[in-house]
Amino acid sequence: MNISLKNISFSYFDSLDDAILKNLNLEVRSGECVVLAGESGCGKTTISKLINGLIPHYHSGTMDGDVLLGDKNTADMTLAEISRVVGSVFQNPRSQFFNIDTDCELAFGCENLGIDPEDIKLRVENVVREFHLEHLLGRSIFNLSGGEKQKIACASVSATGPEIFVLDEPSANLDLKTIADLKEIVLRWKKAGKTVIIVEHRLYYLRDVADRICYVKDGQISHEWTPAELEAKGPEYATNLGLRCLNLEQLREGVVRQAHQPCKVPELVEGPQGSKVLDLAKQSIAKSIVFTNLTFAYHKKHPILDIDRLELQCGQITALIGHNGAGKSTLAQVLCGLQGSWRQKRVARKRGTYLIMQDVNHQLFTESVLDEVLLGMNPQNKEVALEILDDLNLKPFASEHPMSLSGGQKQRVAIASGISSGCDVVVFDEPTSGLDYRQMLAVSATLKKLAADGRTLLVITHDPEFILNSCQSVIRMEHGKFVEQYLLSGNEQLLVKMMQL
Amino acid sequence: MKLDPRTKLFLAVVANGMIFTAPLVYSLLMVVVTSILLLLEGKWKFVCTFFFVYLGAAFFFDLAKNLDIGTSGTIVLASLFLMYRIMPACAVLYYVITTTKVNEFLACMSRMRISNKVTIPLIVMIRFFPTVFDESRAIGNAMRMRGIRLFSLRTLKSPVAFLEYRLVPLLVSITKIGDELSIAAVTRGLSAETKRTCVATIGFRWVDFVVWAYCIAVVVMFLLRN
Amino acid sequence: MRTTGKKSSNTLVRDLVNVGIFGALYLVLSGLGASIGFIPAFIVVSTCMVSLVTSVPLFLFFSKVERPLLCCILLCLLFGVVMIISGHGISFGLLCVVYGVLAGLCLNLFHKNFIGCLLANVMISFVPSSMMIPLWSSTEEYLAYCSSVCDSAYIAHLAELSSSYWPLIGLFGFGAAGAVVGGFIARRVMKKHFERIGLAQ
Repeated sequence: MNISLKNISFSYFDSLDDAILKNLNLEVRSGECVVLAGESGCGKTTISKLINGLIPHYHSGTMDGDVLLGDKNTADMTLAEISRVVGSVFQNPRSQFFNIDTDCELAFGCENLGIDPEDIKLRVENVVREFHLEHLLGRSIFNLSGGEKQKIACASVSATGPEIFVLDEPSANLDLKTIADLKEIVLRWKKAGKTVIIVEHRLYYLRDVADRICYVKDGQISHEWTPAELEAKGPEYATNLGLRCLNLEQLREGVVRQAHQPCKVPELVEGPQGSKVLDLAKQSIAKSIVFTNLTFAYHKKHPILDIDRLELQCGQITALIGHNGAGKSTLAQVLCGLQGSWRQKRVARKRGTYLIMQDVNHQLFTESVLDEVLLGMNPQNKEVALEILDDLNLKPFASEHPMSLSGGQKQRVAIASGISSGCDVVVFDEPTSGLDYRQMLAVSATLKKLAADGRTLLVITHDPEFILNSCQSVIRMEHGKFVEQYLLSGNEQLLVKMMQL
Repeated sequence: MKLDPRTKLFLAVVANGMIFTAPLVYSLLMVVVTSILLLLEGKWKFVCTFFFVYLGAAFFFDLAKNLDIGTSGTIVLASLFLMYRIMPACAVLYYVITTTKVNEFLACMSRMRISNKVTIPLIVMIRFFPTVFDESRAIGNAMRMRGIRLFSLRTLKSPVAFLEYRLVPLLVSITKIGDELSIAAVTRGLSAETKRTCVATIGFRWVDFVVWAYCIAVVVMFLLRN
Repeated sequence: MRTTGKKSSNTLVRDLVNVGIFGALYLVLSGLGASIGFIPAFIVVSTCMVSLVTSVPLFLFFSKVERPLLCCILLCLLFGVVMIISGHGISFGLLCVVYGVLAGLCLNLFHKNFIGCLLANVMISFVPSSMMIPLWSSTEEYLAYCSSVCDSAYIAHLAELSSSYWPLIGLFGFGAAGAVVGGFIARRVMKKHFERIGLAQ
């Protein structure tokens, strides 16, 4: 089914003056796979909402122009009618399920459309076979990993048999293995002649899938390439536009080149720190923090975590990689004294480890950024608090509400509050999931600065670009066990190879 | 041994009625049928624990009721009595909840022509309990790292602040999940007006009739006696 | 040029989902608040605790929904249904609906301003307070029935406890007081947090 967006302008407010989309035109042919890329806040998600009918039917705002699905205007259809032709998968696997077990979830979309029960059973059987979900049937949604949830979401949408699929950052919370599965699913849809629209930051898995990559900037589609064209222009071209890499092979070269030129960071200006990084890193080479006896189990027979010894270099950023369910998050919690025996907890408190959670909203409590930092320390030390804020470029926001800030700023507030409670070891849980290239660089700059101040950083991540950009060493774990630990410099190829699996 | 959800609801209503208005014999009758149904589902562990605690409570109550224990003692005894009375209701509840799948329950609601306006909030609520606990646990963890505890001088000084620290992040993340959930729901064709179909097959079989007959017999017996 | 997102059928789903979410939250929080009543001396005060703890979420709920009457009725009905399944009488469910209607009317009448929210909060606080009514409303049957199983000394004790209506009034009074205090706290929290974040107007 063809999709055409004609002269679309849209604003989430009452007038079109500060519109997020300005006179945008887009034609998608039937059976095409189009990737919408661009920096955060450029309006690419809004385009996806125009196609699945959330605009004009759900979000309030002001709109001009027409969206045609085939020959029907979405404004003349109801959302239920649109949902018959457009299937949507969203970013957050936690919040798109309506049921508590997988069987119900697979049938949910069909049931809403009033399809005959016998027919639904047939359809569900088909998608289960097609997507190889036999092992997930009859499971509780709450025991599934993010990747498994995303697979169920795709299958459930597929069961209603739409002609068009709209995916809004489907890979943001997935590990590399499940991203490969996602790629398979998109390829299968393409083979069946479906039209697929994907809004995405991570581009490398879409290299062999996409027919077109549309770059959205300032409310319009400013560039269009085939993946081959974009790749031919080289990695520098893409990073200048704020895009993530298209080819992991190119990553290494790109990183080496970047090391020579200072990277541009919008919020965190990196100037004199560059030299400071190197000096301190040299000093602290000999120093390291050793954690011993990191074990954890809910049942004695099935240990989730079983590590005798973990050594982290001070003043370095260490990446912790491994598949979903390898025990990385459990390790982070044990390190930070949130899980495990009381002895482990006491050790963690003594060490001063602090966890920056994936959803930083969970760790912001007070009404202003300054209060947030003061919460963990003596309220008289306002100067110290302001100093910490200044260090993280948060001083202008000192009186703002932490939750009203942008994602990156929230993350830095959480870091500031961790520093104020006197921690030396900071553990990050996927700090760059769902970020564009510039935001990723900003996070990377913050982390480098923390390391330069002599703190020890451990970062759980699935983001190869980020690791190559900022980490010095890599720890890999599988099934709750330590697999390997190596210095990154000289071993980049090893990492890229691991990540490509 | 699958019962129709409507039978289970009827059983629950009759059991609750008997437990809270009729003499002990009748609630014992309901306990027996529920235990049999639970045993048929293979929940013998629950049944054993239930009877152990239930009979234990009965024994203690019998022991203590004749003692002169003053007013505060009476209140304790009254709550013990209440617990002991409520336990059969809990057993029925346990049976209904653990053996009914959500979609069967929904199928039964749509069979009984209950509006989507009631069923949608109900599914969301059932689905949301685990989420509330998950989010709350994450926030609790974050609070522990910052040294904010329930039992501390700080909380004693300003209990409202503690409540705020606990509730505000929880409400923020839960409303965010709720917004995303309703967006996901409308793009998947959920609306309050259209009629949904249900995959779950429900229907009455001979077991259902046996349970219905038993429940009605108990009610009739109770009414005749009074 | 046209405005979007004003069609009622789609915001209805959003309202219904909100009822489900806040219903779950309300049940969990009221359960936590009421757990203080496990200490017998605090039974009467437990309703105050419940309404204190649930005020902030309820205020946020009031500000989020577009159909206050329907949503309040459904919220109370959900609570009632859960309580009926877990062993309260049908009459309690009906009472819940009545409170829901009253709360919704308060909100509609005052256009969701502070007074309206406060009154609605008080109305909803009566829901958990009403859970103990059977101890007083059907004392006769309760005692008559007790006499068939217990001996007379204990019955005398019970009769003494339930002959006075003060504890019942206390339950409702403390609940309402908690709702009023909680309402003022909630207004502060709304101003301090949710309005600044942009979650509420």
